[in-house]
Amino acid sequence: MSDLGYAVDALAQWLAGSGKPGWFAVLLAAITVWVLPMLLVIFPIASLGQIFERKIAAAIQRRVGPNSVGLDGPLRFAFRMLLCFLPRTTQDKAFATFTNLPGIRQFLRIAKSLGLGQLAADGVKMLGKEDLIPAGADGIVFRLAPYLALTGAFLPFCVVPFAHHLVMLEVPVGALYAIAASGVTVMALKMAGWGSGSKWSMLGGMRAVAQLVSYEIPVGLAVAGVVLWCGTMDLHAIVGQQYHSGVFSLLGWNLLQSPFLLLLACVLFFGGLAECQRTPFDMAEAESELVSGFNIEYSGLRWGMFAMAEYTEMLLVGSLVATLFLGGYQSPIGEQWLVSLPVAIETLLHITIFILKVLASFLLMMWIRWTLPRFRVDQVMRLCWLTLVPLCLLSLLGIAVTMLAGGGAEMGEAYGRLPARLQPQLGTTGHLLGWAIPLAIGIVVVRIARKRHGQVHPALQRLTGGGA
Amino acid sequence: MTIEATTPSGERMILNMGPHHPATHGVLRIVVESDGEVVANCTPDHGYLHRSIEKIGECVEWQMFVPYTDRIDYVCAMNANLAYCVGVEQLLRSDPGTAVQVPFRAECIRVLVAELNRISSHMIAVGAMAMDVGAVTPFLHSIAQREMVNDIFEKLCGQRLTYNYITVGGVAYDLTPGAPDEIASFLNTFEKEMVRFNKLITTNTIFRDRCASVAVVTSDEAIAWGLVGPNLRGSGVDWDLRRDEPYGIYGQLAVRVPFGERFAGRHGAVGDCYDRYIVRLLEVQESVRLCREVLKLLPPPAPKATDQTGGFQADVKKQLARPPKGEMYSRTEAPRGEMGYFIVSDGTKVPYRVRCRTGSFSAAGIFHHVMKGIFLADVVAVIGSFDVVVPEIDR
Repeated sequence: MSDLGYAVDALAQWLAGSGKPGWFAVLLAAITVWVLPMLLVIFPIASLGQIFERKIAAAIQRRVGPNSVGLDGPLRFAFRMLLCFLPRTTQDKAFATFTNLPGIRQFLRIAKSLGLGQLAADGVKMLGKEDLIPAGADGIVFRLAPYLALTGAFLPFCVVPFAHHLVMLEVPVGALYAIAASGVTVMALKMAGWGSGSKWSMLGGMRAVAQLVSYEIPVGLAVAGVVLWCGTMDLHAIVGQQYHSGVFSLLGWNLLQSPFLLLLACVLFFGGLAECQRTPFDMAEAESELVSGFNIEYSGLRWGMFAMAEYTEMLLVGSLVATLFLGGYQSPIGEQWLVSLPVAIETLLHITIFILKVLASFLLMMWIRWTLPRFRVDQVMRLCWLTLVPLCLLSLLGIAVTMLAGGGAEMGEAYGRLPARLQPQLGTTGHLLGWAIPLAIGIVVVRIARKRHGQVHPALQRLTGGGA
Repeated sequence: MTIEATTPSGERMILNMGPHHPATHGVLRIVVESDGEVVANCTPDHGYLHRSIEKIGECVEWQMFVPYTDRIDYVCAMNANLAYCVGVEQLLRSDPGTAVQVPFRAECIRVLVAELNRISSHMIAVGAMAMDVGAVTPFLHSIAQREMVNDIFEKLCGQRLTYNYITVGGVAYDLTPGAPDEIASFLNTFEKEMVRFNKLITTNTIFRDRCASVAVVTSDEAIAWGLVGPNLRGSGVDWDLRRDEPYGIYGQLAVRVPFGERFAGRHGAVGDCYDRYIVRLLEVQESVRLCREVLKLLPPPAPKATDQTGGFQADVKKQLARPPKGEMYSRTEAPRGEMGYFIVSDGTKVPYRVRCRTGSFSAAGIFHHVMKGIFLADVVAVIGSFDVVVPEIDR
């Protein structure tokens, strides 16, 4: 057996049949497992992010959004390229024949109404732009930053399980690695801000660094809570831990195990929002004050890389939330039947479910972005250090107490092969108590706070349609 | 809330905000001396949009200056028209021989369009303020409402931005037959939309906390710095020309004046950005009410334009050819506060001097005072909360 991780080995073995897998089978397996998820899942969604964003923004703002750039142009271009040895009239005739096919015509119309061609148009535009490096810029730092940003965004995906048989690396310290690798982005933003030689971008870079470094604490603590609960740092083992045999497999998800884990999931999501600098934490690229923040001097493809990194990071936050709290690639209903399907179908279904979960976070982030205003610097820091970190610590304590009360967990194996501590079996009463006690305390605290600080000026009530 | 700018070495960074900065609402340049995120000093630099409008006023005839007033404040051009025309009428009235009686219907139409324009102007103000604080969506929703008003105005006078509608002695065109119903139905939908808008942004905690206690102007300061309009009322001063020095038919209407009352709750202070913002929204509600009231008062149209009740334009040709000599200062309540015209006449058909006093000008005067010690991010919020329109500063 080679030592390239479970998924590669298993696939190579499957490709080779009964014998020992040769180098070709191993290579094929490695490419399938290591490259394809990036190429087929992360990359397209991240690049489609822009379209998603524009469409969603349009829907929220009661506009139509991109609605006139279809795929006709790229398709015609493809025909020209493919049939370059034929005269132009023949190319056009072939293209016309193709587009007149019944299915194609409908597809093109839908693509046009969704503005799918915008992606190609944007890409061409970005490629065609002048690659400008400002006079005062630090050339090397300026050039290096976008690559680093993209690296920091893509690296953590190495340990994210896309499906049971599709995980690049099962590292025993996967969770730690994911957080550490995404930390590269801090450096990239700092370099971009500093290297541009512009005061505005430097302000943006400084803000980004302050924010990212701070929010790594609550994000790390949130992950630590899950690690405490599951007794492993291996992300795949954490997913395996959440397996629940029964019709409603979602009952095994970490999110539903304890209110503290629910709280941590929220912290992870909002901390992640801050990590990818999305509204309301987008002070690093605050459009209204810093114009564009750290990437203000970038143009063309370099800017495109920053945009790509941002969307990829959003996907990363989505996949971390999904992996740690939403059972990873597991189906919410009937996971046990899913795993009994043939491997290929199971993997495809798993990937689909995983993507859907990630997309849910992705869409939620966009919804938030187009709804909320932006925090100020001091408010961002206050939220982090005075709200999120204490909440995380409280949750960690709560989880520890719950586990103690539940009589501890027993060592076991997730999915029969990954070392993990099986979740404490709390039983129905234990679960009910575990939810009821913290929830009751929480409700009381919120009520008292509301009573003390929640008065709204009558004029505001009138403005929102209430009151006299 | 002010923060002392304290870098040990005293090193500061000069940031040029504008004149082409997206948040400065036009070509406003603010030189910010910043200490990291904290603004240590700031100097507004005006004059990028100076077009010598007041000088032009000395070269054109009385009536021909009206289109230029549009350009003084293009966000609420109707009010700018009105301010000038009220001033000229007042001048004419100073001599019983040339006194002009504006038809009642014209007065009603004037109030109607002025209040509608106040709504649309405040829609820009609150929307842009929300955008300055980072929320893009409310701006588009408020702009949509402004567009509705623009549609009404377009049917009225053919223009969407610079109307040139109110003239000395009345208005340029009568209301179209369907206009009152159209305005009434707009007001109904607008009220519903505003509730949605306010739920979206006004009561949003992040927005409130961003604006609370930022750039607090006490009532004494506001009076001392000559703030006017919503900026003055935001500081808790109960003063509105429509009620306290009524012009036109405002005396017959019951104008209720909202003023700042620490709307942000315990974190706020009277006269902070949030108060100014809320005062604008309350004024919008008030304008809706006034429009409805005026629609009830509106007399039916008369066949003759110069009719004293149902007409829309008094005949002022003779009076404007030989206006009384003398000088006159008159002021009206525009969305950005008092808009006053100081007019000097030498008895000819061309004004001797036309000078304008605008709300944004005095608001821009207080910038350097309130922007000391606030965060850089708040600079744009402060500009937004004072609702400056740059052509009004420079003229």
